[in-house]
Amino acid sequence: MGRNLEDLLIFIGKRFLQLLPVLFGIILLMFLVTHVFPLNPCPRWYPKASQQVLANCEAQFSQPVLTQFWTYFTKLLAGNWGASQFGQPVYPVITERFPATLELVLASMFLMIFIGIPLGVIGAQYAGRWADHLVRVLYLSGWSIPTYVGAIVAAVFLAPVVGLPAGHEYSTTSPPFAQVTHMSVVDAILAGNFPYTVDALEHLILPAGVLAFIEMGNATRMTRSAMLEVMPLEYVKSARMKGLSNFIVMYKHALRNALITATTVLGVTAGGLLAGTVVIEEVFSWPGIGAYAFAALGGGGEPNFDGAIAVVIVFALGVVIANLIADILYGVLDPRVDWR
Amino acid sequence: MTTPVLSVENLSVDYEVGAGVFHAVSDISLVIPPGRVVGIVGETGCGKSTLAQAIPRLLPEPPARIRSGKVIFQGTDLVPVPKAKLPMVRGTGIGMIFQEPLNSLNPAFRIYDQIAEAVQMRHWREDGILPSFHPGPAPFDYSRRPITMPSTADVLSRPVMPGTAKDVMAARRVRTRTDLRDEVLDYLRLVRINDPETILSLYPHELSGGMRQRIMIAMALSAKPALLIADEPTSALDVTIQAQVLTLMKELIDEVSASILYISHDLGVVAETADDLGVMYAGRLVEFGPVAEIFQTPRHPYTKSLLRSIPTRYKSDWPMPTIPGSVPNLSQLPAGCRFHPRCSLARPVCTQEPPPALRVIETTVGATTSHHAACHYAEEVPGLP
Ligand SMILES: Nc1ncnc2c1ncn2[C@@H]1O[C@H](COP(=O)(O)OP(=O)(O)O)[C@@H](O)[C@H]1O
Ligand code: SF4
Ligand SMILES: [Mg+2]
Repeated sequence: MGRNLEDLLIFIGKRFLQLLPVLFGIILLMFLVTHVFPLNPCPRWYPKASQQVLANCEAQFSQPVLTQFWTYFTKLLAGNWGASQFGQPVYPVITERFPATLELVLASMFLMIFIGIPLGVIGAQYAGRWADHLVRVLYLSGWSIPTYVGAIVAAVFLAPVVGLPAGHEYSTTSPPFAQVTHMSVVDAILAGNFPYTVDALEHLILPAGVLAFIEMGNATRMTRSAMLEVMPLEYVKSARMKGLSNFIVMYKHALRNALITATTVLGVTAGGLLAGTVVIEEVFSWPGIGAYAFAALGGGGEPNFDGAIAVVIVFALGVVIANLIADILYGVLDPRVDWR
Repeated sequence: MTTPVLSVENLSVDYEVGAGVFHAVSDISLVIPPGRVVGIVGETGCGKSTLAQAIPRLLPEPPARIRSGKVIFQGTDLVPVPKAKLPMVRGTGIGMIFQEPLNSLNPAFRIYDQIAEAVQMRHWREDGILPSFHPGPAPFDYSRRPITMPSTADVLSRPVMPGTAKDVMAARRVRTRTDLRDEVLDYLRLVRINDPETILSLYPHELSGGMRQRIMIAMALSAKPALLIADEPTSALDVTIQAQVLTLMKELIDEVSASILYISHDLGVVAETADDLGVMYAGRLVEFGPVAEIFQTPRHPYTKSLLRSIPTRYKSDWPMPTIPGSVPNLSQLPAGCRFHPRCSLARPVCTQEPPPALRVIETTVGATTSHHAACHYAEEVPGLP
């Protein structure tokens, strides 16, 4: 049995190494789907490009597939992720916008953990009774509402009612401090600007809330079923027999074990959350890569092919990393997992 | 005459599930005087665990439902107590050892944390930080001190924070971390774990079943419960380990002389541990009395056949008698006496009239428990072959 710090580092290292072939596979797949065509795709990719650009593009496509992939892969690693139809490089835009999306996703995850998981516990505790049905109605309605409907309802109808802003990161377009991390709340905190921190939080609540509401079902349902498995076990009864309150029994003894299985949804949820940002960011004018993807896909006029691919790669990376974190969390939470 | 620690009066518990209503416990009455060990035997599925868990109201309600009856613990009926107040009764009030050592310790926490939690709860109660039944005397001293039990009704209505905040803080300061650790180690030594320091930081899955059951016993005792319920503490273990844990239980019972409800499906085990014995059949208590007396002159045909089925070393050439027929389904119980399809004494009246539930009115520590049997023809049982 190995469960000391060194073993943990080995454990995390191993998971990380396992991740590399997965990432390579994803990039290869992305490449094949987007670059291997029976016909010449250049005129479609660069519809208004000059003759020169088209010639370059065609020269590239006439090469063998493996050579093409190698060129693509090395360029990708070097940070050359292509450019938009107006010649604006994609990579700097992604790195500048990604933190905003990360902030949005982390905020929704926070809401999912602190609302979705307790709801699952309540559902399990009152299984089959009205509280359980209420919880189910709540998360099923989140699940079944299309993202854009939920986002628009929240932005147009809910925002004025609750008095929360429904767009942008701050009330002013250029806040009086440096955008170090490009996460609105973090930047405001780093600048020590309290009013702006509150302002940023207010702007974050609605988009993060809608995103969390739509994806919360995963967390609630997994928690509920894991709790239902754990609750009849005898250690829950032994905890009760110590004279602990129902709250401690549920949230310390039962939930601690239920969470071990519930972590596996983290990966699934990350995919949903990231996909949700495309619509949510567009509706709430959130300056992240979701809105960028929306524009790149032609939402604002001309499609930006390289931009769209870049967002897909970043999303794939996000899902893979979320799964890595879930995997590590599982190992940390379950003492029966050997870290060696 | 002393007030009993526990008296169960006409307790009936049903499970209401899709397949029907299972009458797992029907009209059971029994009394546990202070310092006495009451054994309960019965075949698997006859409702022993349901009875055990109904006492501290541990059953999942629903599907379980306490249909009627009283569970009077230290003077207070626990059946109407609201769920939120039940934690006060558990721990220092009632402790329990479960049958399944694989599952009865939390797999996610270290051994130390699990036992320390129980000790800590007791400290908080002793210090008045947590509301509780008055903590009973230490387990070793049950027999030596006169037991003065406060009325549980008083205790339940006591405010959550008795005393001033200053008192509470002072009490808290007395207990230090090392005290807690020492106390945990003491309880581990009490269950004959030789170098307890080594297991403190282990997780349950790193220990054997016998070891886990010892820890479970230590955990239950560390709360110093006024009543200890042991629900088949040895049944799930390997035979050799079973013998070790049984020896430990017997030694502890002698040392602790606490009030214990000891449940088993093995008459031999109960004979070695208990003072009084109750025999359960299909959810009913069919016989109750002092162990020696029941073994000598059983008054219920079921007990008689159970006793016959104990393999005896001296009569190894005996054919193992089995009781013909099978245990009735608890959702479709036979009318009249539940044992009549399998009873060699059964007469027509047995198929119509259930024999009166045995009623244990009063027992005292000094005097022997009176002997009761739920059978129309109890007098004829000693004459059975
Ligand atoms: N959670 C439950 N739901 C429904 N029925 C149950 C449940 N637990 C026990 N029972 C029923 O109650 C009966 C008695 O069970 P139990 O008290 O565990 O018996 P024992 O401990 O004597 O083996 C069983 O036959 C079973 O049908
Ligand atoms: S009441 Fe009748 S059927 Fe029941 S045990 Fe006695 S003799 Fe047998
Ligand atoms: Mg049982």
